[in-house]
Amino acid sequence: MSIGYLVLELRRAMRSTRFVIFTVGMPVVLFLLYVGIWGKSDPAAPGVIMVNMTSYGALTAALFAGSRVALERAAGWQRQLRLTPLPGSGYLAAKGITAMALALPGVVLVPLIAALFEGVSLSPDEWLRVTLGIWLAVIPFAVLGLLLGQIGTAESMQPIMSIVMMVMSLLGGIFIPIDGMPSGLLSVAKLLPSYWLTQIGRGAVTSDLSVGLGQAVLVLAGWTLVLGLGVVRRYRRDSARV
Amino acid sequence: MTEPKTVAAGAAVTLTGLRKHYGEVRAVDGVDLVIAPGEVVALLGPNGAGKSTTVDMLLGLTRPDTGAVTIFGSSPGNAVADGRIGAMLQGGALLDDATVGETVGMIASLHRNPLRVAEALRGAGIEDLANRRCNKLSGGQKQRVRFAVALVSDPDLLVLDEPTAAMDVQTRREFWLSMQDFTTSGRTVLFATHYLEEAENYADRVVFLSKGRIVADGSVAGVTALTSGRTIKAVLPGATGHALHKLPGVSEVDIRGDRIILSSNESDKALRTLLAEYPQAYDIEVTAIGLEDAFLTLTGHATLSDGGSAPTPPFEGNETR
Repeated sequence: MSIGYLVLELRRAMRSTRFVIFTVGMPVVLFLLYVGIWGKSDPAAPGVIMVNMTSYGALTAALFAGSRVALERAAGWQRQLRLTPLPGSGYLAAKGITAMALALPGVVLVPLIAALFEGVSLSPDEWLRVTLGIWLAVIPFAVLGLLLGQIGTAESMQPIMSIVMMVMSLLGGIFIPIDGMPSGLLSVAKLLPSYWLTQIGRGAVTSDLSVGLGQAVLVLAGWTLVLGLGVVRRYRRDSARV
Repeated sequence: MTEPKTVAAGAAVTLTGLRKHYGEVRAVDGVDLVIAPGEVVALLGPNGAGKSTTVDMLLGLTRPDTGAVTIFGSSPGNAVADGRIGAMLQGGALLDDATVGETVGMIASLHRNPLRVAEALRGAGIEDLANRRCNKLSGGQKQRVRFAVALVSDPDLLVLDEPTAAMDVQTRREFWLSMQDFTTSGRTVLFATHYLEEAENYADRVVFLSKGRIVADGSVAGVTALTSGRTIKAVLPGATGHALHKLPGVSEVDIRGDRIILSSNESDKALRTLLAEYPQAYDIEVTAIGLEDAFLTLTGHATLSDGGSAPTPPFEGNETR
C-alpha cells in the first residue's frame, strides 16, 4: 500500500463533479422527494426511504470508483504503474479503499438529513447499523466496480454501469420498495446484492419484511468473496496478456 | 561493434533467445542483445518489426514465449521494484484529472530513492507546468511529462518507446538535449524510434529489427559500412544505362532525364573513369550511403511503414537525400 498513491486517487475522485452530484447530491434530493410523496402514508416510510437512499448513494460511489479502472487501463496508466514498485495488490487495495472512502459522504449525509429534517428517530445502535452498517455492506459493490473496471473498456463502461445501476437499484428493492413488490419480483430481488445491502439498514427502521442481520452479512460476505476472486483472476490475466 | 561476451557479466541489459508469437504472427523471433552500462542504443525497425514487443518483454510487461531477459543481473520485475528502470511507453499513460506535479509526485512516492519532483520536472524541461492539469497539455508537453515520470525514480536504465512521436521539430530537439544531460551521467538508454536522424545523432549504437529479428547491430558508422559503397550523382546529357553499368564497381544506375545516379563500391575509380569517358559531366556529387539507405538495404528494401497500418512519420533531414 502506498499513501501517496491513495491520496492522489482520492483527490482525483473528489474533482469529478459527476461523482459529487450522483453520490451525494442525488441521494439527498431523492430522499427528500420520496419522503415528500410517500412519507405521510406510513410512519415507517421515512426510515425505509432513508435506508434505501443511503444504500443507493453508497453503492453508486463504490461502483463509480472501480469503473475508473477501465479508463486507466485504456490510457495505459495501469501499464505505467506496473513499471513502479507498486504491486498489483497495492493497486487494487488502493482502488478498493478509495471506493470505500467515496461511499462515506452519502452514508453520513442522508441519515443526518433524515434525522434533522424528517424526524427519523432511532436508537444509537440502530443509527450505527444505518450508517456504519450500510457503509461496510457496500464492500462487495466496491469489489464489483473493480471487476467491471477490469472487464470494460473506456467506451463500454458507461453503458455497463448504467445497466448494472439500473438492475441493482430497480430490481434490488431500492427504487421499487420491496413492500410493494409482487412475490415473483421479490424472489428476483433476493438474487441481487443490493437487496441484501438495504436489508442491513432495514432491520433498524422496520421489522416488516426484514431479514436477520446475520443472514444479510453472510450473503454479502459471500458476494465479496466471489467477486474478489473474480477481480484477482482478471487482474492476473490482464497483467500476463498486456 | 560491441562484443557481447566481454560485457555480458556486468551488462545493463541481456536478452537471450527472445521469442514472442501472437497466434501465427511471430512478433519477436529470436532476439539476442547485450547492452553495456552507459550505452545509448537506438532500436530501429519498420512498424510491426517487433520493437514494442521487445521493449515490453524487456520491461517485464509481456512474458516471452521463450528466452530470458536480465536487467543489471536480475529479472525485469526486480529491476522495476528497485527503481532501476524508467520507461516512457507508447500511448497516453497520463491521468487527465491530475496535475503534472501530482502525477510525478505520486510516482516518486512509490519509489525508494526518487529524485525530488522539481528536479525531475527540470530534467524534462517542464518546471513551469507543475500545476497544469494533464488534460490541458499539448502532445509534446505530455511526452515530456511522461519523460519526467520515467526520470523521477532516478533510474540506471531508461527505456523509451517512440519518445518523440507527438513532438514537433523544435520540441524534439529540446527533448534530446534534456536526454543528453541524462546520458552524460553514465546511464544506459534504449530508445525505439522511427526517426533515423535521432539514431544518427544521439545513439552510440543502432540495432535494426526486421520481422522480429535483429538484422544489424553496431555503431552508426559500422552499420552504414555494412552496406558498402557510395552514390555518385552528376548531370550527364545523353548517357545510356548500358555504358554506365560498365564503370568500375557500379551496381545500380538510375537515369532521370539528364541526371544520373550511380551506386558503386569503388566510387573513386568509377568517378575517374566517368570523368575520362564523359568530360562533359557536371554538378558532380559523391555521398556516403546513410543510415536510411543502410536500413532499407538491411531490412530487405522494407520501408518504415511496411507491415503496419499506423501512419509513419517521414524520414527527416538525412543528409544523403
